[in-house]
Amino acid sequence: MEPILRIDNLCKSFGGIVVADHIDLTISAGEILGLIGPNGAGKTSLFNLISGVVPQDAGKIQLQGRDIAGMSLHNRARAGVARTWQHMRLFRTMTVLENLMMGPRDYPGESLLGSVLGLGRVRRAETAAHAQAMGILERMGLAQTAETIVVDLPFGQQKLIGLARALMNDGRLLLLDEPMAGVEGSNYETMQRVVHDEAAAGRAVCVVEHNVGFIKDLCTTAVFMAQGKILQRGTVDELTRSRELTELYFGTAEDAA
Amino acid sequence: MEYLAGTIILIALFVILASSYNLIIGYGGLNTVAHPIFFALGAYTSALLGIHAGLPMAVCILAGIAVAVLVSVLLAVTTLRISGDYLLIASLGFQLGLLQLINNMEFTGGPAGLSAVPNTFVGQGRGTIYVVICTLAAIAVVWAIWRTMNGPFGRAVRAMRDDELACAALGRGLISIKILIFAMGCGAAGLAGGLYAYYFQYISPEQFQVAQSAQILTMVVLGGIGTTMGPIVGALVLVALPQAINFLQLPNSLVGTVQGLIFTTLVILFLFLRPGGLVGHTGSQSSHGAAH
Amino acid sequence: MIEWAILLQILWTGIAMSSYFVLLTVAFALTLKVEKLWNFAQAGLMGIAFFTMFFVVNKLGLPGWAGLTAGLAVTVAAAVALEAGAISVLRARNSGGLTFFIFTLVFSQFAAYVLTFLFGTEPETIYPSVMSPVRIISNIAVSDWDIQAVVTTIVLVAGLWAFLRFTRDGQFMIAVADNAKLAEIYGISANRAYIISGAIAAVFLTVGIYLYGTRAGVTPDVPLVLVLTSVIGTLLGGLGRVFAAGAAAVFLGLLQSFSILVIPSKWQAMLLYGVLFGALIVFPRGIPGWRPRRVQAPAAPAVASPSPAEG
Repeated sequence: MEPILRIDNLCKSFGGIVVADHIDLTISAGEILGLIGPNGAGKTSLFNLISGVVPQDAGKIQLQGRDIAGMSLHNRARAGVARTWQHMRLFRTMTVLENLMMGPRDYPGESLLGSVLGLGRVRRAETAAHAQAMGILERMGLAQTAETIVVDLPFGQQKLIGLARALMNDGRLLLLDEPMAGVEGSNYETMQRVVHDEAAAGRAVCVVEHNVGFIKDLCTTAVFMAQGKILQRGTVDELTRSRELTELYFGTAEDAA
Repeated sequence: MEYLAGTIILIALFVILASSYNLIIGYGGLNTVAHPIFFALGAYTSALLGIHAGLPMAVCILAGIAVAVLVSVLLAVTTLRISGDYLLIASLGFQLGLLQLINNMEFTGGPAGLSAVPNTFVGQGRGTIYVVICTLAAIAVVWAIWRTMNGPFGRAVRAMRDDELACAALGRGLISIKILIFAMGCGAAGLAGGLYAYYFQYISPEQFQVAQSAQILTMVVLGGIGTTMGPIVGALVLVALPQAINFLQLPNSLVGTVQGLIFTTLVILFLFLRPGGLVGHTGSQSSHGAAH
Repeated sequence: MIEWAILLQILWTGIAMSSYFVLLTVAFALTLKVEKLWNFAQAGLMGIAFFTMFFVVNKLGLPGWAGLTAGLAVTVAAAVALEAGAISVLRARNSGGLTFFIFTLVFSQFAAYVLTFLFGTEPETIYPSVMSPVRIISNIAVSDWDIQAVVTTIVLVAGLWAFLRFTRDGQFMIAVADNAKLAEIYGISANRAYIISGAIAAVFLTVGIYLYGTRAGVTPDVPLVLVLTSVIGTLLGGLGRVFAAGAAAVFLGLLQSFSILVIPSKWQAMLLYGVLFGALIVFPRGIPGWRPRRVQAPAAPAVASPSPAEG
């Protein structure tokens, strides 16, 4: 399999708190990798390091063989890192469609001149983005929500819009921060289906989830993190069967369901 | 007639100022009070060029716009990493400091200002010509802002205002967006300054004080922040209503004070009675400052 | 060669002159700390205080203490009314920072226009004469005004410190400043703290403008300029640090006094704004280490989300 993301020896600490402790990790095309571990294990921090929200202290991050560790947040997105957020971070005054139209990673229409003059190139990009956005919404069965202000949608649909916006970035790496939390019923199935389809189409997907049930539904492989370290990598079943990890994670083994 | 023309011109210029300020503060979410200083830069640049170089009015006003844009980019590059409340205070320092500079320099005429701005149009039709020019300029500025804010660029600006981090994580360079709207807004203020200097033929530092920021800001907020029509309605109401006082035949020394009283009273009343702005939408957009 | 005596003279005069800067800055910093409010309305309150005292002393011919008492009463009443009648309304509405900025600034302008309407635009002083007897202490001229100003300032600032340190209301104010919501959970009334801080600020403003107005002429526009000095001092002192802000005001006063040696007086205001702007360029998030001290949020596990990304 073609490796999409390759991390070597990644380190980061805030003050005295180590959130990434010599992390090595590779994710390949078609893979859906789950990140599990207790609160504070450094899962979301790892996403923030990969996507460039915070700079790393040391280590290498390569996307399809290209070093992105020195790039800014927005340049990493342009290089092909697409991500979602635990708290979605949708543009709350904008419609669903407008939210999605912010997604394409290279967009000529946002230069001022092009925008005022409505150059042909801009108009074509706008049409293409519109078609792409409607295509994604249709796949999710949400086409009828296109003109709704995004915060007026129910929570589960907002989560899907968060994913849809990230999918507008056609890069090869997709980072999903708790995509399933609070999502139920048909939205849950849609989420699962779309994520599987994206992996099948050649994206490398990495998922942070607290609920192991979600991870089982989504992921093929998983890594277990604690205190900024990757302790083990294996199939989801292997990891959940490991007594040692289960104790570390659950303490009181309730969340498993 | 000349009086009516003056009022219309003032309204047109304040429509430009309020709309462009709204672009920066309402759409862009950049809290700055340094708007009148760009109005001043446009006015002083075009007035000085007109007086000393004798260049045509259009060239002088264009130069005024250019200087305003240039200085705004310099200010943006140095201050845009400053966050939140501090940006407001830094811009206050910039506004006050630069105005002090104008106040203290010889070539700007100091506190007395510049009074010999050349007269481009002579005779009966002068007021009408300026009414046409200023109204067209106001329409052009409002149109340009409306057009950009409803296009792809405006979408990025609004997205940035709603959530900077998410916007950047989608591949948008925030600094360039901020510099662009800042330059655009300040350039428009420079245009208003040039027109002001040429019509009134007299400018002095006290016309560009920080109190003007409050006045323009008030037009934006009372009209309806983050809307196209809001600043227009705000400018119209807050320029026109205090002018009504002129029909009362008050002694000259009192006119300014009474106008100020009317203005501030209106602001306080509107602030409490129409908190969402005169152009009514309630809540969702106007509260963006406190949303997160 | 500049003589020592001259430097000492400038030092002393600078300290005496900074007395009203200190009082006004402490008032501004206190409301910012407790109410989280950049209260530009304090300029309006200063104007009200000054012209009340001016009216009582100059127009009614009553003695200075009567003027000061009237000034205190009127200004504290105005501050409490402003707090209870307007600012609390805006706060209850969850108004944005811009609304507060506009309201407080416009209130000050409104007050200035009313005062202009009533008293005109000529500079006025509280007493007909601003002269004050001078004695020479080891070659330095020390006026009665200087001593009165310095002593009053020290007494008031020390009093505020003791109030915050030793009284229940003072400690409640600090609790509200740290975290208003948490304080309310513990049964502390944030409103009461806001009103008390507003009233204390009013006292400082009145005495500050009294000192200013017994030495220099005041027009209705002067208070707004004075508030800007308060803003700069508050910022340099570090937000939330009331007494450091007072110290910064002394620094600004001395900076202005000593700058006479180097630059013409007309550039002094420039210097002040330069300090403000420069400080922010160098420290875009406030002076490091000088940020407001906050109560640790009780239930937040330190490692849960250490990145600045969320929330």
